[in-house]
Order: sequence, then C-alpha cells, then structure tokens
Amino acid sequence: MISKDDVKRIARLSYLDISENELEKFQKDFSDILDYVNQLKELEVANVSETANISFTENVFRKDEEKIFNNCEELKNLWPHRRENYLEVKKILYNEDN
Amino acid sequence: MKTINLLNLTIEKTQQNLRNREYTAQELTLAYLDKIKETDSEIQAYLNLTEELALKQAIRADKMLSHGEAQPLTGIPCAIKDNILVAGEKCTAGSKFLENYIAPYDATVIEKLKNQGAVILGKTNLDEFAMGSSCENSAFYPTKNPRDLTRVPGGSSGGSAAAVAADMCVFALGSDTGGSIRQPAGFCGISGLKPTYGSVSRYGLIAFASSLDQIGPLAKNSKDCQIVFEAIQGKDPYDSTSNDFPKNEKWLNIKNLKIGVPKEYLEKGLDPIIEKNIKSALKFYKDNGAEIINLSLPHTKVALACYYIIAPSEASANLARFDGIRYGELIDSKQSNDILDVYLKNRSLGFGPEVKRRIMLGTYTLSAGYYDAYYKKALKVRTLIKDDFAKAFEKVDLIIGPITPILPFKIGEKINDPLSMYLADIYTVSVNLAGLPAISIPCGSADELPVGLQLIAPAFEEETLFFAADFFEKNYYL
Repeated sequence: MISKDDVKRIARLSYLDISENELEKFQKDFSDILDYVNQLKELEVANVSETANISFTENVFRKDEEKIFNNCEELKNLWPHRRENYLEVKKILYNEDN
Repeated sequence: MKTINLLNLTIEKTQQNLRNREYTAQELTLAYLDKIKETDSEIQAYLNLTEELALKQAIRADKMLSHGEAQPLTGIPCAIKDNILVAGEKCTAGSKFLENYIAPYDATVIEKLKNQGAVILGKTNLDEFAMGSSCENSAFYPTKNPRDLTRVPGGSSGGSAAAVAADMCVFALGSDTGGSIRQPAGFCGISGLKPTYGSVSRYGLIAFASSLDQIGPLAKNSKDCQIVFEAIQGKDPYDSTSNDFPKNEKWLNIKNLKIGVPKEYLEKGLDPIIEKNIKSALKFYKDNGAEIINLSLPHTKVALACYYIIAPSEASANLARFDGIRYGELIDSKQSNDILDVYLKNRSLGFGPEVKRRIMLGTYTLSAGYYDAYYKKALKVRTLIKDDFAKAFEKVDLIIGPITPILPFKIGEKINDPLSMYLADIYTVSVNLAGLPAISIPCGSADELPVGLQLIAPAFEEETLFFAADFFEKNYYL
C-alpha cells in the first residue's frame, strides 16, 4: 500500500493540489493499480531492448524554411491575459524586498 | 422539407443517392441536423453542433456534385470526436480545462475531409482527454448506448460511436490509444478501424499518449471504414511519425487466408456468451475455406500492465502544457500569490479524477527511483509484445479474437473502480503497443447487446482487414 505522504509527494510533482478527502480515494486506486502493474516485475527482461516508439519511419528531415501561420491573432486570443503581443503571466523572479 | 430515410445510411448508399439527385447535400445536412435535435437530447452523443460550417460545406458539396467533381466523401455528413481540431470551432477534449478553447487551425484529417467536401455536423463526446472506456469521464455529461440507454456506449470515442449507431451521422472520426475506437464500435454494434501507427497524421489531435494515439473512422460497415481511411491516410509534413502507405496490391481469397487464433484471447476472463459468438465467427471463416491456426501470444497477460505504465507516463508529459496560462484559465490568476499557485489551482480545478489519476501515475512511473522499475521495464515488455505479433504473422495473415471480455456495462457500474474499467481494454491495448492495424466489426448479439469481433493485421496491411471484414459482413448473416 502506497502511503498518503507518497500520494501527496506525487501530486506535488504533478502540479496538482489534492484535497484531504480526495487523498484516501487516490491512495486506494493507486495501490490497486500499482499492485496490478507490479506483475511486470516477475518478467526477466535483462537482455531485451526497449521500444520507446513504434514509428515505422527513419529520421525525418526538412528544409529550414519560413512558413507563415495566418491565425496568430486567434492563437493570442486564447491567452487569458495579454498585453499587446505579450502573454501576461505571474512574475517568477523575486528579490528579497518583495 | 424533404423527408429522407436516414436509417442505416452508408457512405456508398449516400454517394449513390446524391449522384442520382434523390436529394441534395444541403437537404441531407438539414435532415441530419433535425434528426440530431430530435434524438440527441436522450443519447447525448454530441457536445457541440457546427451548423454553420455544415451548411457551408453542404453548399460546396452541391457545387462539386453538379460540376461532376464529386469525391468519395463529397456531401457525406459526419461527426468528429471533440479532441480533433476543427478551425474556428470549440474543441474541449471533454475537459473543463478547454471548455472555451476555440481551435485556431484544422487538424490534417479535417483539412482532408473538408477538401473532399465532407459535411461536419458537430463534435462528439468523449472521456476527458480520451482517458476512459465508457464516456463517463466526460466533464460535461455521459453519452448513452443507443442500443440500451441504461448502458455505456464505450469509450473513449463513445460519442462518435453512438452518433453513428443512432443514425445521427453517416460516419465519424475517433482516436484510439488503447481501444478507444474499437471498443465503443463493438459496444454500439458498428465498425471501427484503428489504422497502423503512422498511417494517419496526428497533427491537430489533442495528444494523450503520442506513441500510441491514432485517428481512425467509425462507420456502419467495414467498406465505409475503408473509404474514410483512404481519404485521411498519408504522410504529413506536420507529423513526422506519419508515413506513406505502401499499397500492397494483394490478391486476396478467403480460401488462402490463414487466420490465427491466440489461445490467450479465449481464456478465463472472457464472458462465455461472447466466446460463443467469436467461435461461431471462426467456424464461419473455416467453413468458407480459411485455415484456422491456433497460436500463442504469450505476453498478452502483461500487455495491460505494460500499457497502464506507458500511456500514463506519456500522458503526464503531454498534459503538462495545461497550466492555466496558455489554453485558458479556470481561476483568475490575478488573485493568485505566485506562479506555482496559478498552476496548482488551475490544474486541480481543470482536470477530472481519471485524468488526475493518470497524470499522477505517469509522474510516479517516470520519477527518480521508479523510472527503471516501471517505465524502462514497460518499454522492454513492449518489445516482447511486438515480437509476439511479429512471430505470429510469420504464420498467419490475420489474427481474430474478441474486442472486449464483457458486454456493454451499466452506466455507473464501474466508475468507482478504475482497475475493473481498465480490464475492459485487455484485448485492444496490445495492438496499440505493437502499432498494428485492427478493425472491430459486429458479430451478432448476446442478451440483446452487440458483440464485436476484432481482426488484427500486420503493419500497413489494412487491405487484408477490409477484405476479411467485408466478406464476413456480406455473408455471415445470410
């Protein structure tokens, strides 16, 4: 069984806030799912290579050419806060005075 | 207004009727929109209708038809799963997060449909970000199975499957990451194709697990799936995993067909009532001269565990982009103290429980100390699963088995037990892990509920699927 602290730690890594009453349900679901996927542990795979993707293509190259995207304004309209052509976000750098 | 019989209208039949001027594309479009307004309050297959776009396309289709420029999908009304972008229309992915998101461009598949003059009626419901097997994880409402309104239509492309099954469109597009086209097609008694990984561009599909996702058609029969597949497939510079389809002109004959039946697909866990239908289908192929070969895919048992590590891992990375900054916000960030607070509050409000569960699971399996034991291990098991199929396809042209171990279940029956919901995907996930094409076709019914048959072929051999599926549909019910 995974601990409540573990669930909290994973939630934090995932940028999720988990409320106290959600915590128990996540802990149970998580433990069930991990118990299930732990059956992989019994397989011996030391000499097996990894398949990270199944793509049937080799490296794909293209010319580095400029292409004009015409809907920039519509993209920018999806930003919750903007000032002209800037996406407005919370500041991420602080000094000791603020 | 003209009365048009929409019952079981296929693409082929509609093409004929449009070309014979029995009705115009505009009349047909209005008939479908009416039908949706009449039927969908009960089934709830659609999230949004795109009426203006539909009528614009219908006018264009009528022009193409009258100029003799009709293509296979000209004037054919269809529905699009709401995780595929249609420019200028909402695209929610079934999530609160994207409730107000307007797609700024067309997915490549949409551009292809539009160029053929297809008529897009609306966007269909799905499990949030395509994560689920019942459509109950939609942030908006659950879709109901048209064959039995107390049951789920399957998922995640449940809205698309229900819209096709209830004659609220001629065909639909869905996406399949672990069975999300085939399983709802099976649950609703229609056909659904998951193409070979890379044969259809994913550009404009909201990503769930990029090494598994594939767009494909849901339609009334396999012939229609083939028509749509041929319209949307092909290499796309915007998706570097896409590939041109090497057309293998094969001479196919049912008498030369070698069909493999993995013993693991008919083992414990499969509802005996479904097994009966599958065995009857196998007997049908055998009676018609196909050779049935019993074989083994030894890693079938661990495929689901492998999938539920790989898919959430990729999802946790793909869904990191939803931060409340770029794609809309759910709380006013001006009220937040700092950037971390913005992320936490938006993500906690924006995602539903299943999506949170998978993001956290994926974060865990990718995190320091667990990466080797889970993610890396799963990648190795994926190789074993892929090799199982490669070995099997040295001996057979096709593998046949069930789509799901269970019949369509009741709405609410599994929603509180995620693991039992995941087990519904046991026969479909390995196909995505191996990148293969597979089709789901109706195979009779049990307890008055549809049963689906799954046909799996080697990569890029959709042709064999269409041949064997079409043969079944045309002769099995005689």
